[in-house]
Amino acid sequence: MPHGIFHPLSHGFHAKPESAARIWPFDLKTLLIAGIVAFLLLFTVFPMLYLIYRTFIGEQGFTWEAFTRIYTYPLNWEALSNTLITASLAMIFGVLIAFPLAWLVGRTNLYGRTFFRTLFVMTYMVPPYVGAMAWLRLLNPRVGTLNLWLMDVLGLAQPPFNIYSIGGLVWVLTTFYYPYAFITISRAMENMDPSLEEAARISGASPLKTVMTVTLPIMLPSIVAAALLVFISAASCYGIPSIIGAPGQIDTVTTRIIDYVYVGSAEGLSDATSLAVSLMFLANLVLFASTFLGNTNQYTTVSGKSTRPNMVDLGRMRLPLTLLVIIFALVVVVLPFVTVALTSVTQNLGKPLGLDNVTGRFWKILVTRQGIADTASNSLIAASVAATAGMIVACAMAWLLTRTQARGRRIPDLLITLGSGTPSVVIALGLIMTMSGRFGINIYNTLTIMIIAYMVKYQLMGMRTVVSAMSQIHPSLEEAAEISGASWIRRFWDVTLPLIAPSVVAGWFLIFMPSFYELTMSTLLYSANTKTIGYELYTYQTYHSQQTASAIATGILLLVIVVNALLHKLTKGRFSI
Amino acid sequence: MSSITLTNVWKSYGEVHVVQDFSCQFHDQEFVTLLGPSGCGKTTLLRLIAGFEKPSSGMIAIGKRTVSGPEDFLAPEERGIGMVFQSYAVWPHMNVADNVGYPLKIRHVPARERKERVQEILAAMGLAGLGKRMPHELSGGQQQRVSLGRALASSPQVLLLDEPLSNLDAKLRESMRFEIKEMQKRFGITVVYVTHDQTEAMAMSDRVIVLKDGCIQQVDSPSRLYLEPANAFVADFVGKVTFLPAWAEKGQIAFSEGHNLAYTGTKQGRVRVAIRPENIRLRTDGGILPGILAHTQYLGDVNDCRVAVKDATGNDIQVRVLLPGKTFGHFHQGASVWLDFEDFLVFDANESTDLGKA
Repeated sequence: MPHGIFHPLSHGFHAKPESAARIWPFDLKTLLIAGIVAFLLLFTVFPMLYLIYRTFIGEQGFTWEAFTRIYTYPLNWEALSNTLITASLAMIFGVLIAFPLAWLVGRTNLYGRTFFRTLFVMTYMVPPYVGAMAWLRLLNPRVGTLNLWLMDVLGLAQPPFNIYSIGGLVWVLTTFYYPYAFITISRAMENMDPSLEEAARISGASPLKTVMTVTLPIMLPSIVAAALLVFISAASCYGIPSIIGAPGQIDTVTTRIIDYVYVGSAEGLSDATSLAVSLMFLANLVLFASTFLGNTNQYTTVSGKSTRPNMVDLGRMRLPLTLLVIIFALVVVVLPFVTVALTSVTQNLGKPLGLDNVTGRFWKILVTRQGIADTASNSLIAASVAATAGMIVACAMAWLLTRTQARGRRIPDLLITLGSGTPSVVIALGLIMTMSGRFGINIYNTLTIMIIAYMVKYQLMGMRTVVSAMSQIHPSLEEAAEISGASWIRRFWDVTLPLIAPSVVAGWFLIFMPSFYELTMSTLLYSANTKTIGYELYTYQTYHSQQTASAIATGILLLVIVVNALLHKLTKGRFSI
Repeated sequence: MSSITLTNVWKSYGEVHVVQDFSCQFHDQEFVTLLGPSGCGKTTLLRLIAGFEKPSSGMIAIGKRTVSGPEDFLAPEERGIGMVFQSYAVWPHMNVADNVGYPLKIRHVPARERKERVQEILAAMGLAGLGKRMPHELSGGQQQRVSLGRALASSPQVLLLDEPLSNLDAKLRESMRFEIKEMQKRFGITVVYVTHDQTEAMAMSDRVIVLKDGCIQQVDSPSRLYLEPANAFVADFVGKVTFLPAWAEKGQIAFSEGHNLAYTGTKQGRVRVAIRPENIRLRTDGGILPGILAHTQYLGDVNDCRVAVKDATGNDIQVRVLLPGKTFGHFHQGASVWLDFEDFLVFDANESTDLGKA
């Protein structure tokens, strides 16, 4: 930025206190940062610190007592070990699937590569519990559709799979969290200079050798970051283990925490808190590790002209590999979605689906039952407010981060990242413990507490989307408006906003969508009047009618498809996660 | 023998023909430059030779071996050529020695021999002692040398360079020009060099191929390209030139009533006369065309002038004239001057000089 030119916004920090006009932007920035930080301290940091306090500070000061007590129960050890085992395996399988897939889709002449890319990115937006519901129907040890079909085809005496097992849990976790790795790795691969690979080819390396000696090592930091993301998402997941684990009596840390909260006693809450603190430490450790990895920028290279990446000719393997990807997509995406959709129109789940077993009854329930309409409306309101408030903060943060040198502008960024990296159960539990009147604020049993929880958890994606859009707009565009005489509001309105508008809309949906179908936090925070659609679905699935739950899930899936198409149009598939 | 032969090579994306019917032979140990504005197909040609692109039709042979043809296609790794990329493409996860030694490692050259060869290359590249450095610890110029060293490591017979100097600053670019030429002579390799910078092309090449819209405009030595451009496009792209509309008859060329030039050529009717700025003398005592000195700029070594003259229909045309720097001050802005032409070229009036996106 040129010095010597009067520049109230960017130089506001150094402005001499001569005129009010020069002072106030300084105040605005400080005020903005202070406001956002205050919000985050109150609703992210304070609840987390209070959980730690409750766990480690007893009547006589620091104590390990609560922590040791919780782990004297073998059940909790088992839950911890189940969580670690399933999350680790989901991480390993997720990356083993995601890297080759990202390479095939991004770097080769695989048939239908853009279609597959869209498909795999879309699954990222699907609520994980939908996967659990589907695989429950398919791989139930007694009546699972796929099990029965395989027994029939292969002539087996026993059903080959049992979804109520560690293996079943790993399978569903993997198929619903590998897209996180796929998106992260694909993005890194797209950002990699294709001539790095071409240089290996011209040096004599075969395509496979190029992948092993150049692509893979250069991508390693992204792959590790992707792996950690899958690990922590799987370890924090409640939707899948609650639906699959409960009948199979496989507990994870998240299901144990929610069970303890449901006990309702002071002791139950204490035990939940101690477990939540373990999960929180694990998550923050992982978050720290991946942030650290993300900051190693020694792999940044000079970029040349934007050549299209040279597509590796798969040759004779083109058709077989495409078939393999089709089979994968059918099994992992199409099969579960179709299963859920079909379940919603099945009259009797015990009988095979035929013309005599089809019904529209559950869809009628979906559109007529007041309870579902109420919860959907609750979710719609909470998610919309969370997304709107979240995007206002996101825009302010984008401006602070990319356009100002304001002191402390990284603090909200850090706290938002912290909130997003914290497992949902921990956020919800922390809010329950601190926001139900103990400290003068009582928003328990209101929609407000849900909105705050959603913001804490999902704010980050919205913010990153806007920040990355904003950082791609060269400041000179705004400076050109400034030099033309536009005030900062005019500059924002005439230049910046039109350029970032698609990203703002995309960011809004990235907060709205997961908030809308949220299950974990809603399970802990709902009251009689603030039930959400996610929780309603869970209740139907577990206690009343799988078909009605499936009808709701199908509705959510359709919404996901529409929103995803919109996002794709707005961001060309490049939204941040 | 490592000549490169391209025979009727086409490269099309749908209706867009990036390379059109390209036929040419690059001789063994020759330095050939593909020169043209962006979008002329020069990089595509290089990538066709490298094997990163398949020709839509036609044949490419390196030496006697067909590498791209209707039946055969050798992958880049099977062509045994070296290539330097515009972005250098130095692998960020390998140190300098590993980068340079990679082609040898792929060819299973024994470790000791490899190490010696790498040291030899590093010394030749002026990178001795930097083998253990990581790429991000190197300057742009050094990364460029690593890239060149890696391309030469396996002693290829053919070296392809894709605008290798465009990311370097002006001074470094000039010195690298000499170094690249030096390497080529020393290693005795055939070089195909892609650039849009005509000075680079002139400085290093044995022959230059000027391309426009995927078509060859001229294949010639730098001096013939400059002195005898095949068409107005080449005249305009290679060097500086001003075009003046005129009328050609036997024995003379007329710019306007009473302003003629002796002409021994064969062109008749409406023509365009191309004059290079160093071939014009400014005089005060009469000459071929009268004009007004519109601008004069002191650039140190030269005095860069624009003289406004009128064509036959009375339109103003600015003629560029380069005089020695020491003449600055001899003529003043607004002064009436005469132009005298020492040398000129004549092209048909309808010939395009449109440089497209350049």
